Amino acid sequence: MSNHTTTRPWKSLIELPENIWRSVFRNPLPSSDLGRASTSFTNFFLHLHPVKIHRNSLRAAFTLGLGLISFFLFMILVVTGILLMFYYVPSTTQAYDRMLDLRGTVAFGIFLRNMHRWAAHGMVAAVFLHMCRVFLTGSYKPPREFNWVLGVLLLLLTLFLSFTGYLLPWDQLAFWAITVGTSIASYAPLVGSQVKFLLLGDSTVGQEALLRFYVLHVAVLPAVLSLLVAIHFWRIRKDGGLSRPAEEDALPVEAPATQVEVVQGPAVVMATSAAAAAAVKPVLQKRQYGIQGLVRGPFTKVGNVPDRSVFAWPNLFMAELVVFLITVAGVLLVSLFFNAPLEEPVNVMHPPNPAKAPWYFLGLQEQVSYSAFWGGVGIPTIEVVLLLLVPYIDRKIAGVGKWFARERLLANFLFLTFVITNIILIIIGTFFRGPNWEFVSPW
Amino acid sequence: MKTPVKPAIEEGGDAMTRRRALSWLSGFGLFGSLIITVFSNLIFIKPRATYGQPNRFSIGRPDDFPSGARVSLDERRVCIVRDGDKIAAISTTCTHLGCIVSVAETGFSCPCHGSHYDQDGNVTGGPAPRALPWFQVSLAPNGEIEVDKDSEIEAGNYLRV
Repeated sequence: MSNHTTTRPWKSLIELPENIWRSVFRNPLPSSDLGRASTSFTNFFLHLHPVKIHRNSLRAAFTLGLGLISFFLFMILVVTGILLMFYYVPSTTQAYDRMLDLRGTVAFGIFLRNMHRWAAHGMVAAVFLHMCRVFLTGSYKPPREFNWVLGVLLLLLTLFLSFTGYLLPWDQLAFWAITVGTSIASYAPLVGSQVKFLLLGDSTVGQEALLRFYVLHVAVLPAVLSLLVAIHFWRIRKDGGLSRPAEEDALPVEAPATQVEVVQGPAVVMATSAAAAAAVKPVLQKRQYGIQGLVRGPFTKVGNVPDRSVFAWPNLFMAELVVFLITVAGVLLVSLFFNAPLEEPVNVMHPPNPAKAPWYFLGLQEQVSYSAFWGGVGIPTIEVVLLLLVPYIDRKIAGVGKWFARERLLANFLFLTFVITNIILIIIGTFFRGPNWEFVSPW
Repeated sequence: MKTPVKPAIEEGGDAMTRRRALSWLSGFGLFGSLIITVFSNLIFIKPRATYGQPNRFSIGRPDDFPSGARVSLDERRVCIVRDGDKIAAISTTCTHLGCIVSVAETGFSCPCHGSHYDQDGNVTGGPAPRALPWFQVSLAPNGEIEVDKDSEIEAGNYLRV
């Protein structure tokens, strides 16, 4: 061996690029099932996905890609947000000037701000539509109850992130929207005025509030959101992938009495069918194997078990790439043609008339114009609590994994009533309210 | 030599063993620390000093406000009302959601959600839940009028100057 190196000292040099490449990417582009499995398994980013996934999860018409779109919009928001932080100063005297600088002097400044603003609007919409998809396909049923709860929390976090970001430009729109928003918080019973004071750090919206909202917006909330997103994704895997109709799983299975192995890695597990069957819950017994019988709805079976799963590489990864590209392209296009709004600098003495919140809060503002407590605190609290409890109220295991399943007529009807009511309130607040919040015709 | 076999620790028994007592105590301690941490953080983020405007300020001499004047000091968020030799300060912060109400002929009106108040600040329409508060007005030794937004008084209580 030593002879080898002495005679050809240049060999390691020639092989250097390939050796480096191979040390980073452990697998060549796969051409076999084994290769496809190891590619998913040995790459940090790909191993977050299962090696094999159910065909049903790939149906664009079933998922509409909304969860992925939400996630990719969040990625865009993180990247553009960090870039904007290089120029932004959370100070009442400088913030607005920095907005003007983004417009006038910073290279790509206006474009980055546009991307950040439109991606934020898009994320609110995508997360909400994702929730609608999950509900209307009955995908919150066991074992996915808690992931629905996490999803509702993620929607609330998204709204709060967007609300805190709204103040940062320190323009008229921002100032009065936050004044109204934090006053709504003060209507909460018992803790209301304390919450408002903690949020604002003062009795009125000012420098302290700007600093607090900034910290919440760039550090606290993104960190919490990232953690919940990670758990949300992790649970999807542990719950056996995306929901699907039960009959999708009920394939005639000829029981092979052989062993099953999970390809490669330290988690190589051999489980005899008998041992696995003994440990798996009765409901899941139609499945043959699990990693030590712990995994629900496992896709790790690699034996000759007939099923409807396909390899994640390339099927899932290509699908994700396509959704990613569409999302980025959408944000870029909108940002090219529409500029993020920036109103007059803050004038604490003259609220704009009417002072309107961003569109997704206009339903709330419309409710608030009837009664501050019920519209701003009472009804929203009831709505959120009901949303959180949905999977624990509706316990029927029927109509899972299908859009508008007949068995779920009542549940879907109630949910759509909730959605449409809110959309109508938003439309009224957006188009039909003029100065002094009086009813006006948009035509 | 044979190593002495330790007796297995009884699991599931109801007896309060030393180990169990210690676990309870540690659990209690850890949980207590968590609670204390949360509360300390809340106390930390609640400011002891605020940097905004003071709630007690002077607005000038009585002569600055002619009889019948209704002057809205938007920065201070009060409206100074003078009627003959009587003077009062009414809040211009809408009791609904904190917008600044503007002085109208009929009293006050809010641009945000359409609340209306009469000349004395009583609600006449819109979503406002209660009347605009009146603030304590006093004459300082130097002859200037002082408004104290920390003390609300009953509507209709004027200061005679």
